[in-house]
Amino acid sequence: MKDFQDLVLRCHDYWKAQGCTILGPYDLEKGAGTFNPATFFGCLGKKPWRVAYVEPSRRPTDGRYGENPIRLGLHHQYQVILKPPPAVVQDLYLGSLAHLGIILRDHDVKFSEDDWESPTLGASGMGWQVWLDEMEITQFTYFQRMGGVDLDPVSVELAYGLERIALFLQGVESTFDLRWSAALSYGELMFEQERERSVYNFERASVERVRAMFELAEAEAKDCLSAGLVFPAYDHTLRCSHLFNVLDARGAIAVAERESQIARIRTLARECARAYLALSGEVHAPVG
Amino acid sequence: MHLLVEVGTEELPALAAPELASALGERLIGALAEGRLPHGEAEIYWTHRRLAVLVRDLGDRQEDLVEEVRGPAVAVGLDDQGNPTPAALGFARRFSVSQEELYKRRVGEKEYLFLARRTPGRLAGEVLPELLAQAIREVPCPKTMRWDDSGLSFLRPIRWLVCLWGEEIIPVRLGNLVAGRTTRGHRFFGPPKVQIPTPSWYLGGLREAKVEASPGERRDRILAEVRRVEEEHQVQAALDEELLGRLVGGAEWPVGVVGTIPEEFLELPAPMIEATLAAEGKFVPFSRDGRPAEVFLGFRDGAKDKTGVVRQGYERVVRARLRDSRFFFRHDRRQSLADRVRLLRGVVYEGRLGTVWERVERIRAICAHLARALDLPAELLDRAAFLAKADLTTEVVREFPELEGVMGGIYASLDGEPPEVAQAIGEHLRPRGPNSALPKTKLGAALSLGDKLDAVVGAIRVGLVPTGSHDPYGIRRRGAAVVRLVLELGLSVDLFAIIDATFDLYPGGLGEPSLVKTFLLDRLRAALQRDFTYDVVDAVLAVPRGDFLGARARAEALTRLRDEGLEQESRPYLADLVLAFGRVRNITQGCPQSEFNPELFQEEAERELWRAYLRAEGRIREALARGDYEGALRSLHGLRDPIDRYFDQVLVMTDDPRLRQNRLGFLCAVRGLFLEIGDLSRLVMS
Repeated sequence: MKDFQDLVLRCHDYWKAQGCTILGPYDLEKGAGTFNPATFFGCLGKKPWRVAYVEPSRRPTDGRYGENPIRLGLHHQYQVILKPPPAVVQDLYLGSLAHLGIILRDHDVKFSEDDWESPTLGASGMGWQVWLDEMEITQFTYFQRMGGVDLDPVSVELAYGLERIALFLQGVESTFDLRWSAALSYGELMFEQERERSVYNFERASVERVRAMFELAEAEAKDCLSAGLVFPAYDHTLRCSHLFNVLDARGAIAVAERESQIARIRTLARECARAYLALSGEVHAPVG
Repeated sequence: MHLLVEVGTEELPALAAPELASALGERLIGALAEGRLPHGEAEIYWTHRRLAVLVRDLGDRQEDLVEEVRGPAVAVGLDDQGNPTPAALGFARRFSVSQEELYKRRVGEKEYLFLARRTPGRLAGEVLPELLAQAIREVPCPKTMRWDDSGLSFLRPIRWLVCLWGEEIIPVRLGNLVAGRTTRGHRFFGPPKVQIPTPSWYLGGLREAKVEASPGERRDRILAEVRRVEEEHQVQAALDEELLGRLVGGAEWPVGVVGTIPEEFLELPAPMIEATLAAEGKFVPFSRDGRPAEVFLGFRDGAKDKTGVVRQGYERVVRARLRDSRFFFRHDRRQSLADRVRLLRGVVYEGRLGTVWERVERIRAICAHLARALDLPAELLDRAAFLAKADLTTEVVREFPELEGVMGGIYASLDGEPPEVAQAIGEHLRPRGPNSALPKTKLGAALSLGDKLDAVVGAIRVGLVPTGSHDPYGIRRRGAAVVRLVLELGLSVDLFAIIDATFDLYPGGLGEPSLVKTFLLDRLRAALQRDFTYDVVDAVLAVPRGDFLGARARAEALTRLRDEGLEQESRPYLADLVLAFGRVRNITQGCPQSEFNPELFQEEAERELWRAYLRAEGRIREALARGDYEGALRSLHGLRDPIDRYFDQVLVMTDDPRLRQNRLGFLCAVRGLFLEIGDLSRLVMS
């Protein structure tokens, strides 16, 4: 029975063998592995791109004070980008499950329609939730658009729900009972964080200050863009996105302003995408 | 020889696959017809990984194409002796035809020489590759995506192609794919590559590879399994077409797996358990004697679950889901529905119409009128209206939007609200569709009516009138529901009076009340035309009133009298009335005033009609008060003879303006009596 860290190592192992460069998570708060610059920028442009990494993903509204056994305000995704996707991409994915120790013929594996969209990133794709015995374990998406740009070539994103898969492999009912390693359980590492983050996001966060932080981040992003600094601009865009999520959990986003707030973040994301693509003619062009 | 085309894809959305498969069939048949290739019946098969069309008896050659070509005019092409001139000969030679094959035909004023150009059909093998490729590319998808550099786009990536004619491969090129005879078996339980020798082998051969390509077969298998569980466990399945469609489209080899729900979850309300289990087409829920049963059924794609591993997995998912649902339920129960109502101030209904709170206020106002009209306890209806939308603020309804209304009823009941109030809330969103169930109680029906009237009036008031196929707020559906409620539940209420009385509550300022009324009358017309002839419907709706139930009663009365052909003095009854009405109506065109002074009547015929009018009027008012439209029509019959004599003896358009106005005014009043039933001039009497 594999513990959580074995699971991660096995994922790295498999995808490294498929030619992915193994990266670390990005050092800013974000809602999903998609937001990591390695995905956001990596999907843009023409250059092939294969990366894989663990991404702690924060969704303040999903927090449950540690009381819910499977819903978390912060969970861990395993993110893989395959650009362009090979014709056998589905088989590659299924091979990864086998490599994790899941004997596919013993179980019920289904690809269930789920088209994905991120209004803040101006991104959309088509694909599936993968179900293992009817439990969602991975979001499998062929990205069609990122930062408002039609992608060519398209990328496949695999976003594994590591906690879910661990629950499955370890046969426990609650995330906090998972073994992270021989020495530590998931609960020992994460329970108090879950609890405190829920208190902060739902009860304590200062709406005034967080709003101010949003405004400041947005202004910084715009300033960076005007100075041609794409990556710092994107960092601030990520901050805007996360701060929006915090305000949302706090109940501070009025229904009427929701759309316009999201549009502000999307505008930044679009500008970043455009600026990035403009760089690709430069001498030390970033990948893409 | 038969033709087989199989388009192999990555998993298609279960509910989109059937249409995609038939579209492929249609395109292929269309392409074969355009290509003049004779063929027999087509059969369509599909799973979520493949769309297949089998066309029987495809001819091996195109039918020859015969076209008429026009040549020179006869005057130019034939000489005086009727022999072909060089012009005609040149024409014939150009198309490789002998001069004997030329013939004459007149076009308009002139005669021309024609020949029949016959293009021999090409071999099927030559034309099929392009025809088939084109047909596949033209299959319309609800949404498309790209997956490689081929330029192809489709609903999901296409990964293989089989095009087989008899034993022969048709080398169709599509994107980066070239068709062959290789298909794929079941993802986990069949061989990855399967060679298809001939089209006839397809269905049976795939079955060996653990793929059931016939959706009908899969559906039968699934239903058989459902029935087996029902019998074995003495339960009833909650299975609708959508869930069934998802199950049929969710597996290539569906095999039932029965699981158990722990006792602790069975006390949750049944609708919640059903919504939780059936979400995303995962499991079939069951009930026993109206209460949730402990068994559920899932369908695994593959072999039987001999070790019980899949069952365990399913049960774990079901427990997790139900635990979540129970969490939401308990969270919801911390606040009563009544306490939640103020939260509706923060829930937007529609931009220009404000929040749901404001909608609730409007529905309450409408319901106050409805309570009076339908003789219902006003406080109970008001309480139900007040609470009806509160469940929108609950976690359960957020998670399962389809439970809106239902949860409201359950929560109201648990809060200790009066049972009639809880029941009304629970059923106030019915009917959800043209054939779905109506509210069972009158209170529920009234609340439903109020809810839908508000939606319709509100939408029209802010200009959201549905057009063509665009009706994002479902206004047409709700309008149709208003009509169903009134007609099927026999609700005697003047909808227009209520609309007029509450119109000022609506912001906006676009649509006027008349627009709303016309909209609702259109829905009424559609409903009435299902049961009555168009002319009867026209006659009734020419006098538009807000009492829709009365409109149907009027239509019934007219139809009955016309069909029965009641005879009075051996002349058709209704035809008489139509004639009499016609005379009155024609002369009173365009004069709406029915003011007159009986003292000014001069002729005896005037006074006679006046007396007949008074008698009829009394009886008609009485009959209408009883809702007896047939009786009212019969009372009109007493006017027939007096009207005939009136027109024989009285000069309506006399010179004296005072007399003329008086006569017209009176006749308008007479006309008005007929119009209580309808505009009889619209009736088609055969």
